[in-house]
Amino acid sequence: MSARRVDRDDIFIVGAARTEFGRFDGEDNDLAETAVRGALADCGLSWPDIEFAVGGTNGETKPDNLVSRLGLTGLPFVTVKNGCATGAVALMTARNGLIAEDLDIACVVGYDNHARGAFNVSPARYGLGDWYGSTGMMVTTSYFALKIARYLHEHGIDQRTLGYASAKAFAYSQQHPYAWRRKPVSVDEAMEADMINDPLTRFMFCSPDAGAVSLVLARGSRAYELCETPIRLASVALRGRRPGSFEVFSPWLSPGDRTSPSIDAAKAAFELAGITPAEVQVAQLQDTDSGAEVIHLGETGLVAHGAQEAAYRSGDFDIDGRLPLNTDGGLLANGEPVGASGLRQVHEIVRQLQGRADGQQVPGNPRIGFTHVYGAPGISACTVLINEGAQS
Amino acid sequence: MSIHASIEVVDATLFTSVDPVILAGSLCGACGAHVFPAMDSCPTCSSVEVTRVGLPTEGTVWSWTTQHFAPKPPFRTDEFAPFSIGYVDLGPVIVEGWLVGKTQWSIGERVNLVLAHAWTNEGTPVFTFGFEAVA
Ligand SMILES: [Zn+2]
Repeated sequence: MSARRVDRDDIFIVGAARTEFGRFDGEDNDLAETAVRGALADCGLSWPDIEFAVGGTNGETKPDNLVSRLGLTGLPFVTVKNGCATGAVALMTARNGLIAEDLDIACVVGYDNHARGAFNVSPARYGLGDWYGSTGMMVTTSYFALKIARYLHEHGIDQRTLGYASAKAFAYSQQHPYAWRRKPVSVDEAMEADMINDPLTRFMFCSPDAGAVSLVLARGSRAYELCETPIRLASVALRGRRPGSFEVFSPWLSPGDRTSPSIDAAKAAFELAGITPAEVQVAQLQDTDSGAEVIHLGETGLVAHGAQEAAYRSGDFDIDGRLPLNTDGGLLANGEPVGASGLRQVHEIVRQLQGRADGQQVPGNPRIGFTHVYGAPGISACTVLINEGAQS
Repeated sequence: MSIHASIEVVDATLFTSVDPVILAGSLCGACGAHVFPAMDSCPTCSSVEVTRVGLPTEGTVWSWTTQHFAPKPPFRTDEFAPFSIGYVDLGPVIVEGWLVGKTQWSIGERVNLVLAHAWTNEGTPVFTFGFEAVA
């Protein structure tokens, strides 16, 4: 490949590390510290080398207090809390910080350690009356079910597509050392499991769990001094909902054309990077449930709406397929430590593009990767990541 | 005492009338958008020229699911049994609510607004709104 000239404001990922995801008995900060020290070791740096830090969690701990363990170096440490998009927002904040503050090295960390079971939510936090909770409507699983039921209907997609999405996730996670649920599940098993919310069964949902991910970012040619194969953050875009979007905890929807923050964020990320969806060689999509993956394939433009069923059936998303997807098992197999989840996606893509995947490696030296997170109250963030090869 | 006053509902602000049952939405004078429940501003265009209006009581199932496990508190019920929730296309707005009378539905099915028993409060039945299939 022809080498690309490095711009002073190019941002690269030069170090990446994650913990195993799953149940965790220790302190949240133990997880976060493990990930940060792992990412530093990955690029041969130590904490005093970091000039700017961003931490994200949806738990009770304060990320900026990690300095009490890592070192009181006086650096600016920003905390973000944006639900499922926390990781991507942390990454974006770090990029912006490096460019705006004219710095070279930043560290990002995302972590959470959630209790077992579905998230407890209060109507008042979402500006809703008590009736919405007391009548049983404030349930995330029913939202996912209502959304995919409508999507399958609108695009003539068979329900069995949901089983394919689950089976794919657990086929990948089986070979990934850091995934939580590594037991294979067949399409039939996924379809025939206990129904939670029609049409979604027990094997079609992710669960909250624990985990941490950290990345080290470097600006301009400094990246090539720290890493043999730095991965360029070609774009990161964050978008919120517009009228016509279908979000969790919505007592009403507007009729007419549907919009989605995922459509908007993906479009912006591709345009900023100068890449088309067809050029993506390995991808990560928010698969909070199997239906979400199916919807997000369409909304990001990676697959045409309605073409998902055929794509799953023909193995397009397998490791040797056209578009290896959620190659670490995604949220379905990793669970969702909310603050870490978006950075897990970036971690997996970085590893794939560097040719050192923790689980199955995408063959053929993929150069271009894509990540997508989506969550309440209707926000999405996408990134395009590129292995630019040697420095020119 | 009127029949109206004797019916206890989960939240009286959801209704312009309980008997006959009519949901209260708001209509934006600036852009024409309807929302439910009624709000003091318009989330579509940000205008504050909104008025409280009764919403249509007939529509079609836009999407549906059946809840097979009991939600956590603050969900309240006398005794849990699987129940359906759906979005119903009322024309100017799509409203989320209970689908009552069965647990398997079809998108496009015609439904009517009804009062549905939610739970019992010290012997008094408390009602929410729901939609049932048009006979
Ligand atoms: Zn308006």
